[in-house]
Formats: sequence, C-alpha cells, structure tokens
Amino acid sequence: MLSSPAPLTQALALARKDLRLERRTGETFLVTAPFGAVALMMVPLAVGPDTPLLRQLGPALFWVVVLLFGVLVTMRGSTIDGPAQRAMLSLSGVGPRVRLAGRAIGNSVLLLGFQVAVAPVAIVLYAPDVTGWIWMPPMMLLVAVGLGTLGALADQVSEGIAGRTVLGPLLVAPLTVPLLLGATGVLNATRHDSAPWPWLVLSLTVVLATALLSAWCAHHLEDPL
Amino acid sequence: MSSPGLTGPRWTGPADMFGRTLPAATALAAVVAIAAALLSPPDSLQGELVRLMYVHVPAAWTAFLAYAVTLLGGLVWLFRRTTVWDRLAAASAEAGVFFTGLAIAMGSIWGRPTWGVWWTWDARLVTTALLFFVYLGYLALRRAVDDPVARARRSAVFGVVAFAMVPLVHFSVVWWRTLHQPATLLRPEAPAIGGAMLVALLLSLIAFTLVYALIVRTRMRLGAVEDDLTSAELAEPGPVAGDAITPPRQEGSGSA
Repeated sequence: MLSSPAPLTQALALARKDLRLERRTGETFLVTAPFGAVALMMVPLAVGPDTPLLRQLGPALFWVVVLLFGVLVTMRGSTIDGPAQRAMLSLSGVGPRVRLAGRAIGNSVLLLGFQVAVAPVAIVLYAPDVTGWIWMPPMMLLVAVGLGTLGALADQVSEGIAGRTVLGPLLVAPLTVPLLLGATGVLNATRHDSAPWPWLVLSLTVVLATALLSAWCAHHLEDPL
Repeated sequence: MSSPGLTGPRWTGPADMFGRTLPAATALAAVVAIAAALLSPPDSLQGELVRLMYVHVPAAWTAFLAYAVTLLGGLVWLFRRTTVWDRLAAASAEAGVFFTGLAIAMGSIWGRPTWGVWWTWDARLVTTALLFFVYLGYLALRRAVDDPVARARRSAVFGVVAFAMVPLVHFSVVWWRTLHQPATLLRPEAPAIGGAMLVALLLSLIAFTLVYALIVRTRMRLGAVEDDLTSAELAEPGPVAGDAITPPRQEGSGSA
C-alpha cells in the first residue's frame, strides 16, 4: 500500500505548482512589479523635486508599496482553485492546513522576489540613507512570510467570491500594519543609533502569531464535499 | 401574541421588535447619563470640551466590547454551528463599526479646538481608523457570500483574525509616544480622573452599553426576520431563470 507523502512534502509540491503557474502567467514580475515601480515614480511627481525629503521618504514608500502591491501578488488570478481542484485535493488526502501552507510558501517566495525586484527602483529613485541595510534581508524575509501567510488566509476566506480581488486587499491590508511598523522601525532605529532588534522581534512575533492563527483557522474554512 | 425570538422571527409589531424593558432602561440610563454629563464640572484645561469625552470614551469602549462579542459569537459558531451565534457576531460587528465611527468623529471634533487639527498622524488615531476598516472588511465579506453556512464560517474565521487589532489599538498609547492621552481608567495606577467626572463617565458607559445591547438585540431579530423571508421566497415555486425566459414548447402542443 502506498503511504501518503509527509505534509511538508505536500505543501512544497503545492507551492511548486503555484510557482510554475506564476512562471507561465507572469502576474507578479511582469504586471504587479512594474505597477509598483510606476507607483514609486509617481510619488516624486506629486511631492516635487525636494531631494532631501524624497531621500527621507524613500524607505517608507518602499515598504508601503511592498505591502499594498504585495497584497495584489497574494490575490493573483493564478491562485484561484476551482471546486473540482479543491475536491481532488481533499479526496487525495491533502488537508486544508497543507493547502494553506502550500499557498503561503508560494506567496512568500514570490513576495521575496517582488521585494528584490522593487528595491533597486526605490534605491535609484530616492537615493535613501542605507545605514543599517544589513537588517533589511531578515526583515524582507519576515515581511514576505507574514504577508504571504495573511494573503493565503484571505485567499481561502474569499474563495469563490465574485469580488475576491477587491475584497481581499481590504481584508489583508489593514492587518499588515504591525509588519509595516516593524519594517520601518528597523531602519529608523539604525538611523538614530538605537537597537533595531526589538522591531525584528515584533515582526517575528506577528509572523508566528499569523502562522499559528492561520493553521488553527484553516480546517474551519474547509467546505464539506 | 407570540414573543419575539432570536433564533426565529416572531415579529408582529414594533414592540415585539424592540422589546419594552430594555428600551425603557436604555432611555432612563441615557437621561441620567446626559444629566450627569451636563452637571459635571468643566475641566481646568479643556473647559467645556471635556463633555465630548462622555461620548468619545464610552463609544470607544463599546466598540471594543462589540468586537469582543463578535469574536465570541464567531468562535461559538465554529464549534456549535448554531445560527443565533452567527447572527450575534454579525449584529455586534455592525454595532462595533457604528461606535468606532462615532468615537473617531467625536475625537476629531474634540481635536480641532484642542490640538488645532481635525486629524493627526498619531498611533491611537491611525490604529483606530484601521480597526474601523478591518471590520468594514468583515461586513463586506458577509455581504459577498450568499450561502448562509459559508458566510458564517468565513466571517467567524475572519472575526478571530480581525480581533488581533483590538489589543494593538488599546496598547498603542503605551507602545508608542503618542499625542493621544494614555488610558484614563484601565491602567495599573489609580484612575486619572475622579469625583463628578468619573461618575459621569461611568454613567455614560452604562448608557452606551445598554444602547449597544438594544441595537444588537434588535438587529438580531431583524436578521431572523430577513432569514425567514429569504427561506419563504426560496420555498415558493417560481420561474427558474426569471420571467423573461419561457420554456420551450413542442410544435403543435396547443395555442401560441
């Protein structure tokens, strides 16, 4: 008798499926990332050529674009699973927690890539003070995982709803505020010579709480077959 | 005459919808609270503006209570699957959004003469506004799902996640250096106000809690009536695809 793969293997397989779909559709890197870059370009037009002010605003705008446009990444069209697909996964023994974990892993990888794609644009356009840049990679990873998990949960909550792409951002965006505070707090702390690690711990706590809450919620969201 | 129920509609008139005892108690509490707010002394710094606090603070407290009840209703629904708990969660969220909006509006009116601005980028203000939008999202989610069971399940889960914002709002004045004053009553030390002002605030809190209870109970009863109406409409035989479409007829099966 064949034994079913471990949950982590199942989740990784689902994440690979999501990433393969993304490679075909290019929603994140060919649509959302350029859209984010356009947003970063429009702000200086609205603010005016005040270089010191833009230099100061740069990091904050980067994180705002990452969180708002990152929600669009998590709500991309290729994440829509049809009823037949969901039924097939359920009958194959893939539980709701594994489905959510797979989606969260796929989202996180894409969001990390999205940040890596948008960061150079922000650096070139705003020339921000890069003091404390060493804290950026762990923070980018935490933001990717936190937002990816929240997005996966919102994706399941709004599954099959006609206005999913409009409703999803409304559900997720306000809840990402602690991540925004943590991300901007790290750079502000390093600039003012104070310890940045409390902000990192705040973000890590938020990410862990989100993951645990999502894991607990996931099986309640499963539609009976 | 049958009595109104929370689990099923038994409405025969306004008195059945609103009840008698609770509206009377609410009206009495409101009159007493208004009198206490008007009779309390003006603040040495804020002057007469302090009276706005008798609406702003209880509105914020009641909003927190409403969201806690939404969380509770959602959690109980997830384990018991009884409609009444979903109805309670929904009614309480609607009331919570109303009281949050009221707290923001009163705070803004108070802020204009005191701080010189209608709005400022303060942690308490921003997190409260975000809380308002989180629960607007909760209500939008409820409207977007037609199936009652799926609606209850999804909104219960989102209600659990959304409640995480409430402690963030409450502790924002502790965790950040804010323009907004820290907690007046709910703090480790003695309350920051006393005497007639404290009495007026507590009376106002009782009145707001009763108003909240009245709103929630009435909304639950309305929800029960709405559900009953929907069930009755679905039970009636009718055209499947609307009146504009007529079923195909066989040739020569009667008059055209």
